[in-house]
Amino acid sequence: MTGEVRLPGDLAEEMVAHCRAGLPNEACGMLASQDGRIVKVFRMTNASGSPVRYSLEPREQLAVYNTLEEKGWELGGVFHSHTHTSAYPSPTDLRLASEDVPYLIVSLATSPADVRAFRIVKESWRAEDGDIVEVPVTIAG
Amino acid sequence: MAVEVRIPTVFRKLTSGESRAAVQPGTIGDLISQLDARYPGFQSQVLAEGGSLHRFVNVYLNDEDVRYLDGLETRAGEGDTVSLLPSVAGGA
Repeated sequence: MTGEVRLPGDLAEEMVAHCRAGLPNEACGMLASQDGRIVKVFRMTNASGSPVRYSLEPREQLAVYNTLEEKGWELGGVFHSHTHTSAYPSPTDLRLASEDVPYLIVSLATSPADVRAFRIVKESWRAEDGDIVEVPVTIAG
Repeated sequence: MAVEVRIPTVFRKLTSGESRAAVQPGTIGDLISQLDARYPGFQSQVLAEGGSLHRFVNVYLNDEDVRYLDGLETRAGEGDTVSLLPSVAGGA
């Protein structure tokens, strides 16, 4: 999955609902894809428990990777909410980005929520700087 | 039977896209050395300067975080699965 994020409407709703349920803190999770289409939303715990930070709970992350293996799915993306700011990667998002997949940001600053996706392109996953490249999100079906 | 190491997406640039690798039993440190021999540069991605596990990398032996076992000295035996996980984090 490189050109776009194809997200069925019901899964988009599930992702946004998880983000709203996490208020006042940021919420987060992962997405599974198959044949270029998102097929599963993994609603995960924000181990940071913060309105301005998130980190995926590692043991849940391991369980997600195991499920991807079992199902033959790909990691289709990582998502988190911005509770009061726009759906654009923050300096912290840029600095801490690691996975080479689209990062979806759900902004709850607007109603309805705004969902956008970006790739953070770095020389190395440990680099603290990189390029932000927007990936179109198609919500349909 | 070997030890299976599961490689996350972020490290697959080094493994030519391979999502798993079979290595010989040994400590987690040994396993990382074996992977570095096979995929040059692997170790420098996983370990910090000084040789400790990078703070943004989590390593699980089956379902246990090796930081709560013996760290890089934790031994993986035949049939075990070792999973490498990059920390995924950020914030507004």
